[in-house]
Amino acid sequence: MTEPVILTEGLVKHYGRSRGLAGLDLEVRRGEVYGFLGPNGAGKTTTIRLLLDLIRPTAGRATVLGADPRRDGLAVRRRVGYLAGDFVVDGRQTGWELLTFLGNLRGGVPRARIDELAGRLDLDPSRRIRTLSRGNRQKLGVVQAFMHAPELLVLDEPTSGLDPFLQQEFVDMVREARRAGQTTFMSSHVMSEVQQTADRVGIIREGRLVTVERVETLRERAVRKVEIHFDAPVAAQEFAALPGVGDLRVDGTVLRCRLAGRADPLVKVAARHTVVDLLSEEPDLEELFFDYYRNHGEEGSHAA
Amino acid sequence: MLRNVFTKTLWDARRSLLGWAVAISAVAAMYAAFWPTVNTPAMQQAMRNYPEGILEAFNYNDLTSPAGYLGSSVYGLLIPLLVAVLAIAWGTRAVAGDEEAGTLDLLLAHPVGRTRLALQRFAALGAALAVVAVVLWLAMLAIAGPAELEGITAAEFAAATTQLALFGACFGALAFAVGAATGRKALALGASAGVAVLAYLANGVFPQVEGLQWTRDLSPWHWYLGGEPLKNGLQAGDALLLLAVTAVLVVAGTWRFNRRDVAV
Repeated sequence: MTEPVILTEGLVKHYGRSRGLAGLDLEVRRGEVYGFLGPNGAGKTTTIRLLLDLIRPTAGRATVLGADPRRDGLAVRRRVGYLAGDFVVDGRQTGWELLTFLGNLRGGVPRARIDELAGRLDLDPSRRIRTLSRGNRQKLGVVQAFMHAPELLVLDEPTSGLDPFLQQEFVDMVREARRAGQTTFMSSHVMSEVQQTADRVGIIREGRLVTVERVETLRERAVRKVEIHFDAPVAAQEFAALPGVGDLRVDGTVLRCRLAGRADPLVKVAARHTVVDLLSEEPDLEELFFDYYRNHGEEGSHAA
Repeated sequence: MLRNVFTKTLWDARRSLLGWAVAISAVAAMYAAFWPTVNTPAMQQAMRNYPEGILEAFNYNDLTSPAGYLGSSVYGLLIPLLVAVLAIAWGTRAVAGDEEAGTLDLLLAHPVGRTRLALQRFAALGAALAVVAVVLWLAMLAIAGPAELEGITAAEFAAATTQLALFGACFGALAFAVGAATGRKALALGASAGVAVLAYLANGVFPQVEGLQWTRDLSPWHWYLGGEPLKNGLQAGDALLLLAVTAVLVVAGTWRFNRRDVAV
């Protein structure tokens, strides 16, 4: 097997009062899209900043593209594209000035390439950055991260601030990067941001990697709140025994429940009636973690 | 101009730099143009009536020659103050300002070493001071004739202006070093402004107290003006001292910057 693109072993980072990392073991394989999922404050940004040598670990070690981000920082960062969720740059310059400058720091990026990406994202780089909306500023960030076709894309909550159309464009860009053999490491605190593109998802909580799963597996296990509106009252007992359905409440024509795993059995039964509306909430990450802990705990007690 | 951090820094500040250079030179030329007014018996008599301590505190120690007048008024207080403010602002912005604005991360995520980044930023500050010095020098040469500033050669103007730029670099380096070492803008600004004021007092005020004369030797203001470069030409020892302090501060700040975490 080829060497992992990102490998961390027992990575620890203490600072101030914030939690940092408490021994992170991470392995990102060449060519995959790795979703790095966790609630705010779990240590996602800390991890990314360690990989970029913006901060230094208290203990443990990290390897990026086979090299030490500290010792071989320049060589590593030449092959990495980085995008932060809150992309901030000096607003007095134009997009062109910024992108040309950043490209030059990497030895130059052809203007045609910048044009192509900007056109694709519907971005006008000739405008002064402070006159751009937050979404347009974020587009500049996307362009600078992708423009030199880096081997590794490190994206920290990348689509915050992008409108749905651009989020889709962004998803396409990540997929294309994957087809081109590039590796993507993408953090997020919402499942939906990573589930469209990620091959595997690592879940971080309180500075530790809790689990790594294929994204399909995770989706099947996710618990979400579901609300179905019917045109006529339904009976609760019809739904109560369905696999994955919990906390079921039926108030006349409205059914509310929590749904774990596949939606199929519930949908099939609901389809016997006339469905007026169907709402499904984004799976809650916290639920996902608790679910994981619960299962994990049970396995532990079985073994004992 | 977008090739590297050094040229980009100057490019981004081109308008403000031009403004500073013109403003400083204009203030200097304006003060210089007052010389014929000061150089009258009535005015000289009036100045002599001020207590010596006050005159000394404002660097007004010799108002009987063009060099003395310029050393007191133009080169003695207002211009070095403006140059110090410019240098401290640039020094603060070099690392700490960028870091607090959150724009340093992006730059350092590129293949740019921290040492290179810091040194190029400071080099841009040096270049900015050089621009200001050259414009100021040209302004003084231009005003020298009309303002009847006889007896000061172009070389002596150059000497004073060079030492002025080095004086600015010294405080710029302090702001740079504190900012690079801590990443805190307010600290960099406060520390260097505080030291600049202390240094000023150490040059003109403390020495009036018996037993505090030695403080003058520690003041960059004294290293800059003490040797009266407008009369005596470039004071190599003073210039080297200013340069050495600048270098030590830059190296120390950069060294620390290389070893610390960059703030979010």
